Amino acid sequence: MEELISTIPCREHQLQDLMDLLGEGDEPLPYSLFVSGSMATGKSLCVSKLLQYLNYKHVFIDCIECYSPKILYEAVVTGLTDQEDVKCDSMWELTNILNGVCVQTFKYKPIVLVFDRAERLRTMDQNMLMAFLRLREFCNLNICTIFVTNLVNENFYFKMGVREPIKLYFPNYTKDELFKIIFLNQKSFVNYLLSSSDACIDGQLKEDLENPELFANFLNAFLSVFYRPCRDLIELQHMARVNFVKYCEPIIKNEIKSTDLTKLWRHIAPILKTSLELLYLRINTSKSVQSPAKENNATLEETTRSYENTLKEELLSTKTFAQSFELPYYAKYLLIAAYLASYNPPKEDKRLFMKNHGKQKKKLQQVRAKAKITEKLNTQLGPKVFTLDRLLAIFYAILEDKIGLTSNLLAQIATLVELKLIAGSKEVDLDVSKYKCIVGYDFIAAVAQTVGFNVRKYLYDFI
Amino acid sequence: MLDTDIQSISEQIKRVRKYIKLKILEDNINFRNHDEERKHVYDLITRVILHGESHSALIIGPRGCGKTTLLNSVLHQVSQEADVQNDALIIKLNGLIHGDEKIALKSITAQMQLENAVGDHIFGTFAENLSFLLSCLKTGTDRTCKSMIFILEEFDLFCHSGRTQTLLYNLFDITHSKQAPMCVLGVTNRMDVMELLEKRVKSRFSHRHIFMFPNETCSDPLTSCKRLFVDTMSLPTSLGKRRKDKRKRKKSECIQEDIQTDRYAVPMEVIKRCNMDVTDFEIDSTFIDEWNTHIQELVNDDKFMDVLEKFSYYTVNEQIYRNVMYQIISKLSSSKPYIHVSDVSSCVDETVCPEHSVKLLQSLSILELSLVIAMMHGLEIFDGQPMNFEMVLHRYTKFANTNSSTQSVPRPVILKAFEHLHQLEIIVPIRTDSTGDTTTSRVQKEYKLYTLGIPVEDIKEAVKGFKALPTEINHWFNSSVM
Ligand SMILES: Nc1ncnc2c1ncn2[C@@H]1O[C@H](COP(=O)(O)OP(=O)(O)OP(=O)(O)O)[C@@H](O)[C@H]1O
Ligand SMILES: [Mg+2]
Repeated sequence: MEELISTIPCREHQLQDLMDLLGEGDEPLPYSLFVSGSMATGKSLCVSKLLQYLNYKHVFIDCIECYSPKILYEAVVTGLTDQEDVKCDSMWELTNILNGVCVQTFKYKPIVLVFDRAERLRTMDQNMLMAFLRLREFCNLNICTIFVTNLVNENFYFKMGVREPIKLYFPNYTKDELFKIIFLNQKSFVNYLLSSSDACIDGQLKEDLENPELFANFLNAFLSVFYRPCRDLIELQHMARVNFVKYCEPIIKNEIKSTDLTKLWRHIAPILKTSLELLYLRINTSKSVQSPAKENNATLEETTRSYENTLKEELLSTKTFAQSFELPYYAKYLLIAAYLASYNPPKEDKRLFMKNHGKQKKKLQQVRAKAKITEKLNTQLGPKVFTLDRLLAIFYAILEDKIGLTSNLLAQIATLVELKLIAGSKEVDLDVSKYKCIVGYDFIAAVAQTVGFNVRKYLYDFI
Repeated sequence: MLDTDIQSISEQIKRVRKYIKLKILEDNINFRNHDEERKHVYDLITRVILHGESHSALIIGPRGCGKTTLLNSVLHQVSQEADVQNDALIIKLNGLIHGDEKIALKSITAQMQLENAVGDHIFGTFAENLSFLLSCLKTGTDRTCKSMIFILEEFDLFCHSGRTQTLLYNLFDITHSKQAPMCVLGVTNRMDVMELLEKRVKSRFSHRHIFMFPNETCSDPLTSCKRLFVDTMSLPTSLGKRRKDKRKRKKSECIQEDIQTDRYAVPMEVIKRCNMDVTDFEIDSTFIDEWNTHIQELVNDDKFMDVLEKFSYYTVNEQIYRNVMYQIISKLSSSKPYIHVSDVSSCVDETVCPEHSVKLLQSLSILELSLVIAMMHGLEIFDGQPMNFEMVLHRYTKFANTNSSTQSVPRPVILKAFEHLHQLEIIVPIRTDSTGDTTTSRVQKEYKLYTLGIPVEDIKEAVKGFKALPTEINHWFNSSVM
């Protein structure tokens, strides 16, 4: 037990509670347990490690993998009987197997079924979940079902009521606990650092980098920035890993001494701030990162990291992104018109786009001033649908030079639809077609800038 | 203390724990209260077995009031008084498992042990199939059928609304025909169950309702809660190890005899069913006495009774009582051989007001909590009209801009935090009827409308107890929103 507690730090209480409830091998198990807590609070880990430690027969079922009742039942049967190709279509067949083969093999030995990410069970089949909550009523086995989820119990509400499970809650780690847990992996962080650096590192430098104190200092700085927006251990470990490399860069280059904490802090603080923006935005690195204890393939990490950097640039400046769309001149105006049509109320079109609107504009400002209290800006409500003729009307209004309605113009609308900048049908029909602009304000502002157009001036919300 | 002593104490505790757990979880024979209802059910069942009278009835009562246990206990009693094996056939169905009619029929066939007789027969209708089964059961010279007792748990789940209620129709129909003596007992916790029945089914039902309400025998929930606690936690003296008893062979027999009469004891049948033996539970007589005194002391303790009172007002669901008792018992160990009032109290508190949603809120990051607050304020202003990400963001930025001390966070991260809240179902999307043109009616995720999934009181509670909450957030939270 001591050993178990030391491998899962900061979860002594929860382990002890679970341990008490599951008892010793020959005691009756409870009907069902409900284990909840936020992401990455160690729920599944504690449950599975403890069951291994207790050496109970158990089946661990991920309800995302087992996405249909049939697959789920069969996973249970396979887990219990070690038969590979079983067929089990219904709860009835499952109870038959439990009462048949399983009673013979297990007698009254403890059996535990763990359903991880159990929130999925709700949408599968309510009766199934209700039946699992009272599985013991249906078979003469010492069997217990454990539901692991990050939703609270109230979200598992049943109109007809259920047999209530015993509930356990895993609270989030505190800042100190997070520190402790991440710090346990210090070695893997250093290894990662060493393997990802090009320079050859040895002797004194290597010793400096391996010094736990350096990592502790880094971690303190890191958590002081990241603890506020993020409590997810997995995410934090990932970010810490990336940033630790940056933290050590000047040390490796011999620019800052590893003991000069203030300088190091001044070096890392802005970096942390910018990388805060990357939080959660990583793609597809989850596998290699989730287990920092494992040795990672350095080259793989390298590529993902550079990919991340490009992604960062793209995401962070919608501007360059928008400008990277090389749209034809009129298409840009069409897009702007579409945006304006989406975010302006149609009845204001006249005032906004008529050439002589000096007087009305003032009036409008007064109207707006009053309306502002409502705070419900059109730009917050999302785009509205507009018709093609309205789009064209606005298009001609904002365009300085006169051009005719050519089929070329209509074709460009189709292109915009294809590029997923506006939504609607690709078939352009003057009478029935309806559209909606689906790009954001930042994007449209950038596009408008390239043609020297001020969008704000024509947005009802901003007048 | 000697080493062996400690060892034996831990062994004793282990046995106590195991025995009481067994009592809490597995004893489905001992039944308290509800004498009238029990008698009613007992009458129905004996009448069909002994006199071949057909009946139908519904047992209705809330969750955990002991409906299933009542039936088990009656069936157990009947099985001792009559030759159920030969005279009757008990068929148990549960709506959770046998809700599908095909499965129900398969299960009925299996429980009648007629799978071979049916073989490859193909039946036109459900009724044909059922009467074939009944005819197979007819034996003897006068071709009479055994009495049948159908127990339908979660009865409401057999009352499908979409499909026809063929199973119910046929079963109730048989209770009127002279095909076979049959008693159909439905068990449900839905008071409005009659409204779910089809007309033709309703007209064949006897309209005999047996209602079970918790605590109707003794008016005071605390008294019955206390009684349950003492009954469950006390140990029967018959388990006592009589050290001076030299005639070893006879011992287990006399224990068995005693158990029959002791009200704290687990019935022998239950112990056997669990593959255990009474001799597994031999406990020192003095230890049993000490333990029982300990239980008596507890129920005379004011603090303990306060806790129990709170609990008994929260719920009358005996199944939840038992969950709590299980948790208390499982905490016993050789280093902690007695029940502490504080443990009971914290366990009850956890059950009574779990406040899981408060804890969930407190586990959010500051950014996420800020979004929840922004949303709450927004909903207050607009009388609970749903909000989308842009609106929440707008409120949040307004706050963040007035507070230089809050770190500015880029929009994609905020959007992620918002999605996280959705994932945790702290905010829930409102349903929109998705009719119309699909390409234009779908909205971008920033504009999807949400409302709060948890009560505002919980948010208040969470903010109050939030560890290391920055003061400006607290101010913002309490500021009047207009
Ligand atoms: N009067 C009683 N005497 C003895 N035990 C009882 C009594 N009432 C409830 N219990 C106990 O409470 C628990 C729940 O009871 P039971 O399963 O019979 O309720 P139920 O009415 O069938 O509930 P559900 O509607 O959920 O099926 C069982 O462990 C049972 O032993
Ligand atoms: Mg029941």
